[in-house]
Amino acid sequence: MSNHQKAFMFGYSKNSAFVAQELQKERLHLSIILSERASYEEAKADGYVDISLIDMTDDEALEQLAIQEDDHIICMMEDNHLNVFLTLSLHALFPHTTILALSDSPHTTQKLQMAGASKIIDLYQVSANRLHNILNKPVTTKLIERLFSPEEDFSFKEMVIPKDSFLDKVMVDDFDFSQHKIILVGMIDLRLSEEFVFITSGLEHRFDSGDTIVCIGYNDDLEAFEKYITRVKGDEK
Amino acid sequence: MIKNWIIKFAFFLHESKRYKNIKQLFSDFLQNSDFAYKKYFDSFMILLILISIGILVYEVKYPVSVWIEFFDIYLVTFIFLVEYIGRVWVYNDWHTQVIHEYNKAEFLNTPFSLWSPTKKVLKVKLSYLVTPSAIIDLLAILPAYRPLRVLRIFVLFRVFKLLRYTKSIHQFVEVLATKRFELFTLLLLLLFIVVTAGIAIYVLEQKDNPNINTLFDAIYWALITMSTVGYGDISPVTVEGRVVSMLIIISGIAMISFVTSIIVSAFSEKLDELKEHRVIEDMNKHKAFMIICGYGQMTRIFLREHLPAHQKYVIIEEDKERVEEAIKEGYNVIHEDASRYGVLKRFNTEYTKITLLVLTGSDISNIYIILNAKSLSDNIKIIARANNEQVAKKCKIAGANHVILPNMVANKMLLTAINQPVMYRAIYAILTGQHLAQLDEMSVKDYPLLSGKKIEEIDFKKYKLLLIGFHSGKEQKFMFNPPATCCVDEEDVLLFMGREVSIEHFISMYKGKKYV
Repeated sequence: MSNHQKAFMFGYSKNSAFVAQELQKERLHLSIILSERASYEEAKADGYVDISLIDMTDDEALEQLAIQEDDHIICMMEDNHLNVFLTLSLHALFPHTTILALSDSPHTTQKLQMAGASKIIDLYQVSANRLHNILNKPVTTKLIERLFSPEEDFSFKEMVIPKDSFLDKVMVDDFDFSQHKIILVGMIDLRLSEEFVFITSGLEHRFDSGDTIVCIGYNDDLEAFEKYITRVKGDEK
Repeated sequence: MIKNWIIKFAFFLHESKRYKNIKQLFSDFLQNSDFAYKKYFDSFMILLILISIGILVYEVKYPVSVWIEFFDIYLVTFIFLVEYIGRVWVYNDWHTQVIHEYNKAEFLNTPFSLWSPTKKVLKVKLSYLVTPSAIIDLLAILPAYRPLRVLRIFVLFRVFKLLRYTKSIHQFVEVLATKRFELFTLLLLLLFIVVTAGIAIYVLEQKDNPNINTLFDAIYWALITMSTVGYGDISPVTVEGRVVSMLIIISGIAMISFVTSIIVSAFSEKLDELKEHRVIEDMNKHKAFMIICGYGQMTRIFLREHLPAHQKYVIIEEDKERVEEAIKEGYNVIHEDASRYGVLKRFNTEYTKITLLVLTGSDISNIYIILNAKSLSDNIKIIARANNEQVAKKCKIAGANHVILPNMVANKMLLTAINQPVMYRAIYAILTGQHLAQLDEMSVKDYPLLSGKKIEEIDFKKYKLLLIGFHSGKEQKFMFNPPATCCVDEEDVLLFMGREVSIEHFISMYKGKKYV
């Protein structure tokens, strides 16, 4: 993650306090934007420095935040109506910036989507699915717990195929990931689109420099593989 | 000497598992509405009652064969008698009272008398014998005594006996009982009007009206007129008598309206309770079901997107508005506070497998519900929702088998979306169970054709699936990315990823082969 990237977080509640805390660990500059004095004081008391108190319904005030295309906007206002309104305003002002939003119902998700949020996380949809997994898929539940637990040595990893890598121009089916003890889950095949595609989608794919691949495996194996793909053709053995 | 024998016998009964089991079985059949087989016993008794009534009615006009008479006099009555004795027997324990008093006497070094515990037990049994249902049971046995034809009128008590076995009639009586004060007051008023009108017509018309000879005739006329039935066998002939008639007809209409409104209000007040009672009873009939505490967003999404059609469930919600919403959606819902001990206790925790989803928005309520459920039965599987990790820990301590942290999962996804945007899509799809990439599992024992096969033979790729690994039943561990030559056996569970259609196709292929 580049150092000049900023994350603009709108709203400061119990939820967003956790996200803010984690974002700080990521060497990402965090700017908290608030509209109420009480939450402003709260954020300040939690040790955050870059906090702005603005009227979020005022486009001029939002424009002055000078959000760049590379930055991230996180809409976490507790009031759903305001969250949707803010998303719409921010999307109109900064159309190329990624807007992440938190939703608590399918209706809000739909509205946030229409308002221009790039990624919406539905708080309860994920939980409802987890509930379903716990009840019906015990092995899946355990695997997901392992994947998302920070203590586990097992996870997902995304990696970009470097220039001149031996993987360049290799068909997906022709490369055996299992010998590296990892599994390829999906990729962004730039040749076709910038969309992420799952390997199970049934399409034939080719690795090219610049493509991003997502693999699953033990952390050591994933790191070893990330280094391995930097090798040039002929040197891969 | 005899006293010692009796005490020994009481201890023998107390220690005998067989005796306890037999008594418990009788008690379950006779009293325990949660007992799965009670419905068969009740149906059998209803059938006997109907046959018995049928025979008695038929017998009035036509002769019945000897064997039918034998069946009615001896067999049906014998079964009723056994049932009556059984109910008296299971009502309380004689031996426990004897042992209790004996131990007390031994401890206090005082003389022990058998009469004292026996008296107490008999007193309790007698209190049962004078209950309306026990009296009905006893009177239902009497029609068997044929020489006294008048006893046949007791056949009516066999009809009353149906109350025991048909819950709807029982509930009707219970509902009416809640308004007994109002109904009793009206009855007194009715008696007052009938008697007053009866006396009035008797005084006014006894000499002029040939149909009114006694006070009984006058009261009979008053009741028939007041009830608006009006047979016409007795009618007033004087002007004064007609005035009395008009007055009691008006009182009668008012009285009927009063009674109707009291009964209707009793039912409308109890309607929700009756419905809920029925829902709980229906649930308790199943071997396994789910209780969902709280009808919030998570419950809604779970029910809408993940609830299998065959899954039996009931929602318990405290908020009236949410209850109405759930009813509109067509869900089974009870308007109750799940943290109240009595609410969960109504479910059959002994005979059924219950999964409790504790999904209310309040952490405090959730923990209370978990403790409540665990205090009822250790066998209840609990999945709870918590708002932060500290509460999640408390839920685990309280006895929850799994804890879900909606905020934590969502926050982790937000962070992934910022830090690893490509990976986010994969994670989002997996975590939300989207159609384009689902994680699913398959227990090999349900698909015998998979058993003993090598991974390469199953050929996941052909079905556009990605095998992540399998849980080895023998080794009790997860084998990630197993080699192609690895064999799966019956106890294993395969874990794979793919589009929903691919998974369905794969499952249907192996299911198909299973039945070939």
